[in-house]
Amino acid sequence: MAAKLPHALYPLIRKLESVARLSDAERQAIERLPVRVRTLTARQDIVRDGDRAAQCCVILEGWACRYKFLSEGRRQIFSFHIAGDIPDLQSLHIPLMDHSLGTMTHATVAFVPHESMHDLTARFPTIAAALWRDTLIDAAIFREWLIAMGRRPAFEHLAHLFCELYLKQEAVGLAGDHRCPLPITQTDLADATGMTAVHINRVLKEMRGRGLITLHRQTLVVKAWDELVRASEFDATYLHLQRRAAG
Amino acid sequence: MTLHLQSVRVATSSEDSSGQLVFADGFLVAVLVQLSGQHGANAGMWFLEAGFGLTAVMSAPLFLDVDAAQDWIGLHLGIKRVGA
Repeated sequence: MAAKLPHALYPLIRKLESVARLSDAERQAIERLPVRVRTLTARQDIVRDGDRAAQCCVILEGWACRYKFLSEGRRQIFSFHIAGDIPDLQSLHIPLMDHSLGTMTHATVAFVPHESMHDLTARFPTIAAALWRDTLIDAAIFREWLIAMGRRPAFEHLAHLFCELYLKQEAVGLAGDHRCPLPITQTDLADATGMTAVHINRVLKEMRGRGLITLHRQTLVVKAWDELVRASEFDATYLHLQRRAAG
Repeated sequence: MTLHLQSVRVATSSEDSSGQLVFADGFLVAVLVQLSGQHGANAGMWFLEAGFGLTAVMSAPLFLDVDAAQDWIGLHLGIKRVGA
């Protein structure tokens, strides 16, 4: 392994291994998937609401989000995605997109034909189970977002989201020491939390003022992790991570 | 129907405290707050802090001045402002 370059799909393997266990044969089967690697600019759609998808998109580098536009330019972001995620995995079984997927930053992605994914999951039930598990965790994250949207005050909501985004990145080796990339704008945060950019700005200032976080050059530093966890009543159970460094 | 303003200080848990209550025929229809320096390029703009009834929308824009805010509120209430 020492001098070998990591395989293009290594982020996917790392992600699946953060939520499930894979054998060598399963890892190799994933590495043998035919992929088309593309670099995309920030704010570029990967697949759009109404499209009929024939491939899945693995994020290799950068951030993406699932979203939907409403009238008058209103936008709801459903989820943020980082390296290793397959945000449109659902299209494998429901190809008609009922929302859009787009990049938030410059990103590298790998497209895998549905046919190859179907073949992989038919030959390796454990991989199918891992993808299913990942989809169920996705649903658990949606439930937490729903709670936050409906019941958490602004400060608690945003603090909860920061805890989640940090731990998700830490689990796949993209963050550590309570420091992680956060390459998104206040408007993105507003669209993801159902708040206005004005409220996001106020909450961020309060968080900084209380010494909980700093947010500078697209890097989130959590200065007081325990307090952030307490303030947001954060319980990481819903992320169902296999191995998680002590908080 | 005409709109009337009343200056007010609003506790927003931020530096944004300068506000206006907006009344239509004596009914409170909106609370506007002027954004402070903490909002960078948006400082000085007016924000719909709260809307009631027809102005209770999730996605009001920021307004350059109180006049623009009143036009927007009037539009949502279905009234034409007199002398605007």
